[in-house]
Parts: sequence; C-alpha cells; structure tokens
Amino acid sequence: MKKEKTEVISAGIDMGTQRIKVAILKDKQIIAQTQNFVGFEPTKAAEQTLKDALETAKLSREDIQHITATGASVNMAPFADSTISMMGADAKAGAYFFSSARTVIDVGAEDARAIKCDETGIMQDFVVNARCAAGAGTFIEAMARALEVDLEDMGTLSLKAERASQINASCVIFAESDVVSLIHREEPKSEIARAIFDAMAERVASMAHRLGINKDIILVGGVAKDVGFVASLNRRIGMDILIPKEPLFAGAVGAALIADKRAKRKR
Amino acid sequence: MENNKKKQEYWRWLEYHSVMPGKDWRNAEVLTAGVDVGSVGSKAVVMADGEIYSWSVMRTGSNSSDSAKKALGWAMENTGLTLKDFNYIVGTGYGRVNVPMANRAITEIACHAKGANYIWGPSVRTVLDVGGQDVKAIRCDANGKVVSFLMNDKCAAGTGRGMEVIADLLKIPIEEVGEVSLRVTEDPEPVSSTCVVFAKSEAVGLLRKGWPKEKVLASYIRAMAIRMSELIEKVGCEREFVITGGQAKNSGIVSRVENILGVKRLPVPNLEVTGRDPASAGAIGAALFAKALHEKSIRR
Amino acid sequence: MASEIETGTKYIPEMAQKEIDKLNKSIKTASIKVIEENIKRMKKSWNNRPKTMEYFDEVSNLFGLRAKEIKKQKEAGKKVIGYSCIFAPIEMILAADAIPVRIGSGWYDTAKLGDRIMPVEICPVIRSTVGAKMIGLSPFLELSDAVVIPLTCDGRTKLSEILSDYKPVWRMNPPRVKDDPHTLTMWKKEIQVIKEKIEKLTGNKITRKKLKKTIETMQKATKAFRRLQELRKGVPVINGRDAMLVNQTSLWDNIERWTQKVNELCDELEKRLEQKEYSSYPETPRVMITGTPMIWPDSWKVPNLIEESNPQGIVVVDEQCSGDRILYDPVGVDEWTMNDMIDAISERYLMACTCPSFTSEHGNEDRVNWIIDRIKEYKVDGVIYYVVRGCILYAMEYARIKRVLDKMNIPVYYLDTEYTREDVGQMKTRVEAFLEMLEARIDI
Repeated sequence: MKKEKTEVISAGIDMGTQRIKVAILKDKQIIAQTQNFVGFEPTKAAEQTLKDALETAKLSREDIQHITATGASVNMAPFADSTISMMGADAKAGAYFFSSARTVIDVGAEDARAIKCDETGIMQDFVVNARCAAGAGTFIEAMARALEVDLEDMGTLSLKAERASQINASCVIFAESDVVSLIHREEPKSEIARAIFDAMAERVASMAHRLGINKDIILVGGVAKDVGFVASLNRRIGMDILIPKEPLFAGAVGAALIADKRAKRKR
Repeated sequence: MENNKKKQEYWRWLEYHSVMPGKDWRNAEVLTAGVDVGSVGSKAVVMADGEIYSWSVMRTGSNSSDSAKKALGWAMENTGLTLKDFNYIVGTGYGRVNVPMANRAITEIACHAKGANYIWGPSVRTVLDVGGQDVKAIRCDANGKVVSFLMNDKCAAGTGRGMEVIADLLKIPIEEVGEVSLRVTEDPEPVSSTCVVFAKSEAVGLLRKGWPKEKVLASYIRAMAIRMSELIEKVGCEREFVITGGQAKNSGIVSRVENILGVKRLPVPNLEVTGRDPASAGAIGAALFAKALHEKSIRR
Repeated sequence: MASEIETGTKYIPEMAQKEIDKLNKSIKTASIKVIEENIKRMKKSWNNRPKTMEYFDEVSNLFGLRAKEIKKQKEAGKKVIGYSCIFAPIEMILAADAIPVRIGSGWYDTAKLGDRIMPVEICPVIRSTVGAKMIGLSPFLELSDAVVIPLTCDGRTKLSEILSDYKPVWRMNPPRVKDDPHTLTMWKKEIQVIKEKIEKLTGNKITRKKLKKTIETMQKATKAFRRLQELRKGVPVINGRDAMLVNQTSLWDNIERWTQKVNELCDELEKRLEQKEYSSYPETPRVMITGTPMIWPDSWKVPNLIEESNPQGIVVVDEQCSGDRILYDPVGVDEWTMNDMIDAISERYLMACTCPSFTSEHGNEDRVNWIIDRIKEYKVDGVIYYVVRGCILYAMEYARIKRVLDKMNIPVYYLDTEYTREDVGQMKTRVEAFLEMLEARIDI
C-alpha cells in the first residue's frame, strides 16, 4: 500500500560493542525501539533487530525510506543506506530530546564520549575516551561480578551508602582485586558500589571538562539508566543532568533523525 | 583440587603442596620459612638448614594475612611442624606487611633474585618474574643480589590475571592455555592492544571473524610476550636468563619471549625430585633471607 | 600585533564563582591536612626532633603566618614579586625593598584542574600551578604584584602566557648554552632589564649601598645553609625530610629571620653531634635524590617512603631546585661597584646553575660534576633519579647520568611518578627494593 508522499519513515541502527539498537521514526516520531545482544554474528543480529522493530511498528522493509547506521561496528550493517558518526548521532538525539541540550555525554559499554552541540543538534566539538575501560559500562559489569551483585541492583545499592570506600587501582583488572579485598575487610557493599560509580564518574567528568561543559547537559547510553552512576556524576559535575526516557536508544534515534533528513533530501 | 564442578572455572589453576621425601625437619639446626603473598597466588616454602623441605602454592583469598596463614599451614601439613619450631620467617610479595607470623618483610624483587640463584645456581644474571598482577625484570649477581630492576605493575598485560581473562573467554583450562597457543604453525599478528580489557575485545572480534581458538590465543599471547620482552630489554638481558613466577609454566609465553629476545631461558628443574619450583622463587628467596637473618642475629 | 579576536581571549575559561569557592575550600582544607600529616610523620621518625624545627613547621603552612605577614606588608605599601625559577635575582628584589616568593605549585589536587585546559601528558608542576590559579589557591601567587618567569623549559614558557592573563609577567631568557662569552653578556642584559622593572614597580631605586647589603644578607643565608649541610655529611643528626623542609622554606620565608633560625638549629645539632645524639642509625643507607623539583607539601610522597621504609633510608643530599641547589652558591663580589655587583649576580645565577635546560658539547657537565662531588662529600650509597612524567629535560639526562654513576659503581634508580597519591603502593615497592639493594651492598 502506498504511503502518502509527505510521510517520511526512517530508521537508525546503532551497532554498539555490546548491543544493537534500532529506532524507527514516522515523521520524526518514535514508533519502535528494539535491541538485541551483538553476540558472535553482528550482521545477523542486526538484521534480526531490524526485523523485530518492523514487527513492532507493523511495517515492512520497503516502508523504510532511509536507514542510517552508527556505532562501533557500523560497517557490519550492510543494509544501511548511509552512516553517521556516533558523535553526530548523539548530538542530534540530544537536541531532539531536549531543545536546551548543549552538552551530550554518552557512556557506552567500552568507551565514552562528550559532544558539544547547538540547538539544531549539529555537533560542534567532541572528545572521546576509548583508551581506558574504567570510564565505561564494562567496568560496572566487572565490578558487579566481583561484588556478586546483579548488575541491575548496583545502582540502588550504591544509593544506600553515605560514603565511598577507597579503590586505588586505575586498571579495571586490578580494581576487581581491590573490590574482593574490600569485601573481605567487611566494608559494606553499598559503599564499595558507590566507590565504583564515583571512580567512573570521575573519569567521565574529567573527559567532559576537557571539552568544556555548557548547560544543559544530557546523559545518554546504556549506563544512563543506572541511578548509581547518575548520582555520582551529578555530584562530580555539580550541575543538573537531563536524561531521556530511553537513553539506550539515543544513538539509534539520532541516526534515524539523520536518515529522515537524508530521505527528504533525496526527493 | 577438582576441576569437574557444575560451573567449570577455566581460570582456576591447580593448587598444590608437597613435602620432600626422605627428609626430617627434626634433624635440622635452623628451620626457616618464606611466605610470598602475591595478589593472585600465595606460596610458602619451609627450609631446613637452607634446603627445601616442603612447600605450598595456592590462590590468595581476599585477606592477605589469612592467605599467609593458610599457605604456610598447608606447607606444614602432616609434618608435625608448628609455628614455634621456626627460627625465623620472612614475608614477601604484595601482602608482605600482612604476614602475621613473619619476623621481617622483604620485597619480592630481592626474594626472586635470591630464589632464582638457589634454583638455578650462580650463573643466573637476568630474572623475568611474571606474577599474578605484575611483571618484573631483575638483574642480579652471582650471589643472587639485585643489581638493578624494572617493574610493570600498572597494567595487567602479560600477567597471570591477563591469562585468566583469556582462558575464561575461550573456555580453555588455564593450565592448557600455553600449549594450545603453540598449536599454530606460524604466529599471527599480535593483538594491537596490550590493555587486557581491550585485548579481550579484540579477541572476541577475531573469534567472530572465524579464527580458531588457538590462533586467537597465539595472537593474544604474542602481544603479552612482546610487552614483557620490552621490559627485559630495557633492563638489559645478560645470560643466564630465567623465568620465575606462576607464568614460568606457560609454554606459550616462554617460547615467545625466548624467540623475541633471542635467548633461551634455563630449563625448569624437576619439581618432585628437587622441590625447586620457579613459581615459588619468591618464597624460596624469603626462606633463605630468613636463614641469613637468623644467623646474623645469633652472631650479635 | 594581537588581532582583535585574539586579545582578551583567555587560556583559562570562565568558571562559576560557586565552583571556585567550593574547590578552593576543599583543596585548601585537604592541603592543610597533608601539611600536618607530613610534620607528624617527620616527628614520628625522629623521636628527639629539636624544638627549633617547630619554627620551620610553622612557616611550612603555606596558608598561615607567612602569608598573613606578607599581606600586611603589602597593605603597608610593599610590593610582592613572585618567581617560578631560581634564576630570578633575589638580591635585586630585596634591594628594592620588595618581597620575593617562589610560586611553584606542589598540590596534587590542582593538577587535576589543570587537566581541563591541557593534556595530562604535560608536566604536572605546570598543570598544578595553572590549576591553583584557577581557584586562587596559592596565597603567594595571589599576593604577587608581578611574577618573574625565566623561560627555562617549554612548560614554563607557555605558563608565562597563561599567567599573564592575571598578573604582570616579566619573562627572562636564560641562554641554553653557558660556554660562549656572549651568552653571559646576554644574561647580564636580562638582569639589568629585570632591575629596571623592579625599580619601576616599587618606585625604589636599587642603589649601590642597598644592593651591597642584600648581597651580604644572601651570603649569610648561604653560610647558614652550608653550615646545616655540613651536618648532613656525617652520621645523621638531622633527617633528610627535615633538612629538605628547612631548605625549601627559604623560598618564601623572611630570609634574615630564616638565616637566624637555621643558625639556631645548627647550634643545637652541633651539640648533638658531639654527644652522639643521632637522628638515624649510622648504617642507614644514604640516598641522594636528583631530578625534578619536589614541592611541599604533596611531593613529600617519595621522601616519606624513603625514610619510613623497611629498610629505612636517609636523604643526605639532593640535586634539585627545590632543595639543596637553592642557596648552594653565594654571589661572589670582588669590588663593590654597581657594575661589579651586577656582573657577580649574573655570573652566580647563570654559571652555578645545574638545570637540565643547559646543554653543551659534553652535555650538562655542570650537573654531572655537581652530582659527582656531592656523592663523594656526603658518602652517598645510592641515587634516586626522580622524574615527574612529562619532563623531557630530566628524563633525557638520565642516560648520561646513569653511565657516570655506573662507572662510579653507585646504584641509581629511575623513579617516574605523577602528581597523584594513587601510586604510593607501587612507589613503595620500588623504593623498598632499591633500599634493600643498598643495604645488601653495605653488608659486604
């Protein structure tokens, strides 16, 4: 069935290091958001995720006028019509969710970025931390394992603490050993959890400061849902941080917005 | 220790302890012990008149002083020894200040040099100690005294922990990791990151590309070996060259380091016959220092 | 010519006053704690520490009496002239009745602030100084009416630009090569230019009489310093950290009062030497520290480790611009004419200096010779070559110094660190292993 000419349906796919996220927009309104683990076959997983999104939106592949891909493994989504950098996607998404957005911080599984944008979502400057895993999501996962706490519970656990334990190690691998020692020294798990989030927030904030922080600050990426991390980052930056309802999909939504623009250009 | 548990822990290496056959500690004049509490492994060695009597190698728990007690206790098991029988005990390693029964703490650098000198003799000049969480390159003289040293304890590259991570990822028991990595006919390019966390991601990427496990392992271990060799080259590699620490048994590391440096390390003595275990070099050195310190105190 | 856009563009971005106040308060509180902690530790390691040391403990509080004293004098009309390097001619500043203070930053926490505007690979002393400026932490820098910055290294060169947004900066150009006669002539001109700037700022002419007096004041200070150093050559009657503290306080204290107090301390220590009242065991391994400056209070990290380790070491001498190099050489005057005095000052500040910014055909010979001489005089057992990450000059001189020390059969260890407390555990292992090496050699 032919859709009306004015309607634009676009999709964005974010090929992250851990998860693949797809967002479908109809006239820039989000009508589907799905995600899957990357696993060992990213291309297959990407296709599956797109399929899941189409099902949710009750659309077929031909209905999508333009798909833009982004993310670390961006070239593993061969069905994409175009690509956009993660920074570009983040900037677009930040402005989309909050028109006052000027700084977007994206904390992913293995790296983190800070982006400066204007009110239309055009990226003006950015800084990346891909050298140190202690400023990204894997850190929390590794620490949760060491603490023997479920990943989802880390945040609320850390909020119970009044102070943070001392974690000296800069390397994720050594920090794990530190955590184990702290446990057996009978330091409360809540204080250890808080120390973990504080350490991460410290790294993320330092990175953002190198860029220069302008209000309003938006936090996106999977880690943004973690209340523990958000609390630590809030404390560290000392300013309010805005978070969209589904921060994990920011990259995909941003890419979909770019796809929308490009679909219109083609006509 | 059994490895056939419900959830197979690939990173868990075998713990062991033993007593030298045909020796009786009651005949000794001086009984000393060295306890090396590393961040990953705890080792204890009991010496009778400066000769190895018994030893133990086990995983360090989260409490250093408990681990020290357990390690020494295990080395003393079924021997009739009690703590009172010791003339002097020296603690070493990362947890050396937490060895409750030690009379003195000495760094693992001095102890590994001394221990290497005991295990292989006065020809040793360069020691590569690959521990659980650090790598040390030590130059020593004919008496096992440290001449110079370099450490890398800022990152896990090349360390035992680094091996545990890859063993876990590839689901290969850690004791076999070295051997499996040598099944390749030719070493592939090493992974570009020496950071274990990123090297692990690279390894995952290689698996996705369809690389067989042994090739991935070879690539990972090669990167680690390069990093370790750089440290040795910085301190200067003078023959004879030996490798101590837990990774001395990792044939994958050993053969690659030898290959890069162009020097062969002295072979590992037979453990059952001699009791000379490179993994316990630190504890051996500590036990020897204990003897020297005890004798010094008597002379006073 | 600066373009329209360019002028008024500051290095340091605007910061909310609230944030500045918050950080200033927290870092200042933390710093005072570190100062107290360091003093406590020095007292613990020396159980019969003389009462005269308490004067220096007092002065060591960067936020305390001395800062208040300077502020008062400033309010009464005196000018304060800060300086970043010991190339600045103190005698000149004093002769114009101004107050000289060194503004180098030893705060670990402010280095993190400096990270916001420059990469972490840059010298932490620079990052820390900039960070301190960002929150107005350094009493001495804040009180300065002008800052003398000799452009000795790249870091300081750019630091001069950053600080010039806030204070009048007087740059000096020490030559990198001392051997050629024309470079001394150049340097003399620099001294003359600074003299004029000082006179202009203070409104006081530097007369022959005044300059003679201040040269003599500084000569007395050197004499007192040498007297103290003499007491470090034998069996220890003063521990390293304490001597280092005494020497470093000369950089901001009233120099005449400092001189008097040092002499009092020496009186006490000379008595103790006679009575064999030592501060450490005679067999303690004797360590020399050489390399980048260790600025109070946070940089006591490594000396604390050296003197509290097992085995314990003692710092008997250092080759650092934060310690034993400051007052080592007096200005030597033949005839007390103005020209002669300016010659003497120029020579002393240039020729005696062993900074690695110098070079010659055979490298920095002055430094090598200085180190060799001190090793012999102070019976040094081993050398800790201390470099903060980012310092190219000291890092590169290591290779040559090591070969020289190898020939002398003196062990040397390259200790590279940062402005952080995170690596104390790792530093401890290295320092202890090095001291064990020295101890083992002494046993032979």
